[in-house]
Amino acid sequence: MRLACVLLVLLGLLTWLGTLEQVHSSLYDVQRKYFESFVLMHDFGPFAIPLPGANLVMSALAVNLVLGGFVRLRKSRETAGILVTHVGIALLLVAALMKHHASQEGRVTLSEGQSSDWFESDYRWEIVVRDLRPDGSVHEHAVPFDALANAADSAPVEISAESLPFVLDVREALSNCRPDVVRGGGSSEVHLTAVPRDQEIARNIPGARFTLRDLRGGNEVTGLVWGAQSAPFTTAVADARFEVDVRRERHPLPFGLTLADFRKVDHPRSSMPRSFESDVLVDGERKVTISMNEPLRADGLVVYQASWGPQDAAPGARLFSTFAVVRNPADSLPLVACIVIALGLVFHFTRKLTRHVRSQRSAA
Amino acid sequence: MNSVLRIAFALLAWVSALPAAARAGDSTQPTSSTIQAFERLPIQEGGRVKPVASFARFTLLSASGSTSPVDADGRRCGAAEWLLRLALFPELAKDDPVLLVEDSQALTAVGLVTHDHKKRDRWSYAELTPVLPDLLDRAHAAQGIAADQRTPIQLQTLRIAESALTVLRIGRTLDFARHRMPLLDGTRVAALFPGRDAVGVADVIERAPEIAALERELAGSDDGRERGAITALWRNATELCADAQILAWIPPVRPVADEADWKTPADLLLAARSGGSASAEHVALLRAAEEVTARRTDPAKLEQALETLVARVESLAAARGELGPIGLEVAYQRLGLLGWSTALFLIGFALCALAWLRPRGRFVRRAAGIAAGIALVLLCAAIVMRCTIRGRPPVSTLYETVLFVTASAALVALVVERIQRQRIHLALACLVGAGGLFLANGYEALDGKDTMPSLVAVLDTNFWLATHVTAITLGYAAGLLAAILGSAYVVIAFLRGARVDRERQRSLARSTYGVVCFALCFAVVGTILGGIWANESWGRFWGWDPKENGALLICLTMIATVHARRAGAVRDLGTCIAAAFGGTVVAFSWWGVNLLGVGLHSYGFTSGIHRALWTYYVAQWSVVGLGGVVWLMRRRAVSSARSASTSSAADVRASSRAEEGNLVPPALPRAPTRSVKSATR
Repeated sequence: MRLACVLLVLLGLLTWLGTLEQVHSSLYDVQRKYFESFVLMHDFGPFAIPLPGANLVMSALAVNLVLGGFVRLRKSRETAGILVTHVGIALLLVAALMKHHASQEGRVTLSEGQSSDWFESDYRWEIVVRDLRPDGSVHEHAVPFDALANAADSAPVEISAESLPFVLDVREALSNCRPDVVRGGGSSEVHLTAVPRDQEIARNIPGARFTLRDLRGGNEVTGLVWGAQSAPFTTAVADARFEVDVRRERHPLPFGLTLADFRKVDHPRSSMPRSFESDVLVDGERKVTISMNEPLRADGLVVYQASWGPQDAAPGARLFSTFAVVRNPADSLPLVACIVIALGLVFHFTRKLTRHVRSQRSAA
Repeated sequence: MNSVLRIAFALLAWVSALPAAARAGDSTQPTSSTIQAFERLPIQEGGRVKPVASFARFTLLSASGSTSPVDADGRRCGAAEWLLRLALFPELAKDDPVLLVEDSQALTAVGLVTHDHKKRDRWSYAELTPVLPDLLDRAHAAQGIAADQRTPIQLQTLRIAESALTVLRIGRTLDFARHRMPLLDGTRVAALFPGRDAVGVADVIERAPEIAALERELAGSDDGRERGAITALWRNATELCADAQILAWIPPVRPVADEADWKTPADLLLAARSGGSASAEHVALLRAAEEVTARRTDPAKLEQALETLVARVESLAAARGELGPIGLEVAYQRLGLLGWSTALFLIGFALCALAWLRPRGRFVRRAAGIAAGIALVLLCAAIVMRCTIRGRPPVSTLYETVLFVTASAALVALVVERIQRQRIHLALACLVGAGGLFLANGYEALDGKDTMPSLVAVLDTNFWLATHVTAITLGYAAGLLAAILGSAYVVIAFLRGARVDRERQRSLARSTYGVVCFALCFAVVGTILGGIWANESWGRFWGWDPKENGALLICLTMIATVHARRAGAVRDLGTCIAAAFGGTVVAFSWWGVNLLGVGLHSYGFTSGIHRALWTYYVAQWSVVGLGGVVWLMRRRAVSSARSASTSSAADVRASSRAEEGNLVPPALPRAPTRSVKSATR
């Protein structure tokens, strides 16, 4: 239990330092440095103090909770409330683990009247090879950008599929870059130049350089793709057309989502927003209104009102609405944990209080 | 005792300083029933319909930092009275010193002689008139600078300019009803008003369609006189309405869904000029306002005219279903329950102090209990009134957290008093009550904004406000109360040393621990509920936002304290020191994180809270330090007791006294070896 105290105080210290640090650096960096790390160096004036990261402390606390809170706890009517409370805390930890390992997050932006059956990640990217068949159908092969991180000229990462007549060798993958035009010898050439990663994670634009190897002995083509480019890389191999593109990772929505109407209502005679509401059609028929605090829950996904625009739209202009989409199998677990913890605490402390009051009465 | 009572009465008199009744025979002085009628006038501001009394209160607070200004003759009046006088008699009210200047340097900078004023003083609009253009120029320049880069003088300049402009506008807000516009003799537009040589804004709005038609008809003609007459009429009317825009007191007549905005006379004029004919009800309202200004020097008729005006607006608002509990809000502003509550808490505390001096006076003790009880009831009544007015759970703004924290901390302290019957909890309840209400008052004055504002979209949910916000606020309340109880323990232990009453101290430590447990329950549940709410509206449970971290810090502190006590690492003294430290954690979470200016919860303008917050931090950390000293003293006492037990008889006596006084904690491991060392030093 003494160890638990030390760990709790350490976690408190980290939380405090991590809060103050947010004044100077971005939430993302602070989160990485203090809360998702095992060790860190805290800058204290001219000194740097080594500290265990919150990840380490919390893991230790979890072990401590299981050993001290369940295994070694004397089980009696006396400690029933404590045990229940610890179970609740453990449930919270389970929820966090489930969310960490099995959740998907992203967003989808729809203009009024527009539909979508996918949503995209905020910051994960993928390389996609599109096979444009003559019959008008499109077949996509997507590879997560993270899988290309180590691509190099000496060790290219291959992207291939049975239906593709070529192999794509990714020779360079940059997580944040910009295209530069290099002029020389009468011709100009486009290069991708790496840029330091942005604090705002969604602002990083990746790019990749690759070669296309025709499997039937054709020539090799070199190409570039960049996250912010307006048109994909296009090529034709043996009468078939293909596109290569880098885009935010897409996930299918298990239902079609159509934005019928978006409304932003202000409080009268003020510019303070009273509500943001989106009327959406699920699978083109079921009408649902999504607003702040009232997300749509369907097929294991939760769709939230996240943003809207254009913010300077003239009255009556067509608006768009952005929804955050989250798949979280532990979505309702925190509520259960909360109820369990509340019951445990109330049981334990009420018991102690009534006993104390009774003893006080008998003393008086 | 006399002096205590005198102070108490003085406080009562101060709190109950209601607007003085009108002096007989003064025709520029509205009667108190006129003022009461005026207070009810419904207006729409900041997204809601409210009585003009609330608008007056917060306008005055932001301009003068007080709600009971002094007029030029040194007479105190209420906020609504000030506003009414300013609107009706601007030529007199411009001499009322209501513009708060925190630092006269802002005025010397524009060349005003400030010798006859204090550095921080209230100035009248008339005194500032000579430098107003310069002041406005500077304020304009200061506006171009980023908010956090402005110097104190620039901030002052901005504030003074803003307040002066508000006073100017309110003074002119009835111009549209006060003045008549001359008609050019023999013109066709004059013929629209037969037998009149001058017309008011209401007339123009009423006949606007005809005037507009005439204007169109004459558009092609080259009759400059005719066209000029119409242009002049529009221009004059617009000019007279220009400053009426500060108050929207005209409800749209037809209950149309997209007509949520109430109108000002300027809006009516604009609408009428662009072709819409004004409704009869609106013209009647404007005429009622004209009647009010015409009767301003006849108190009896003024009251009648004002009653008519207010009744008309009320009936239009009621027809739209927007009048709501406006009467209750007027009553809330008029009753000033919080002032009475503050006074009673102070009286209760004074009586507690008295009871200490005369420990046998049961009457005094009982009176203290009654005072605290009534104070708490009044505070709760105020909170319930606010809930009814807003149709919301008790806490939805930072200001309301202060009221709720105060009420619940005082309530918990009184309940503990019922259980423990040690009197100290009663005294601390009074202290918490009075302190909390002073904080509320100070914050209200500093903010100078409506404390019942409309809520932004994400907060518009009574379910989460009732659960998460209430729970976490109860956690704050209990955490702060535990800190005060713990501090009392430490301070008493330090001051009384060996003479301390063991039984009482143990009881105090026990109640501190109990309140820590209470705080733990609500802080933990409230924090998790907050996560669930965040997951419900943003799709993430936890985001390491400063406010979330603050709540987590409270939980961690309380959990660590409880575990340390259970593990035997700390005893009574340690628990109380931890609770005292916990108070600073609560203060950090409640106010401190908002001062950081980052994250999702930086919703309050709280920079003025800085000093108060740091004072509290330092006070509480000093208590923690003091606790360390007490701990060291006890160790010394233990060691000297042990080493002395083998020496002279006198020391044995001393050490046994020390045991009596509970200087010796029940067990101190490792004491023998170290105590020898410290004894030899």
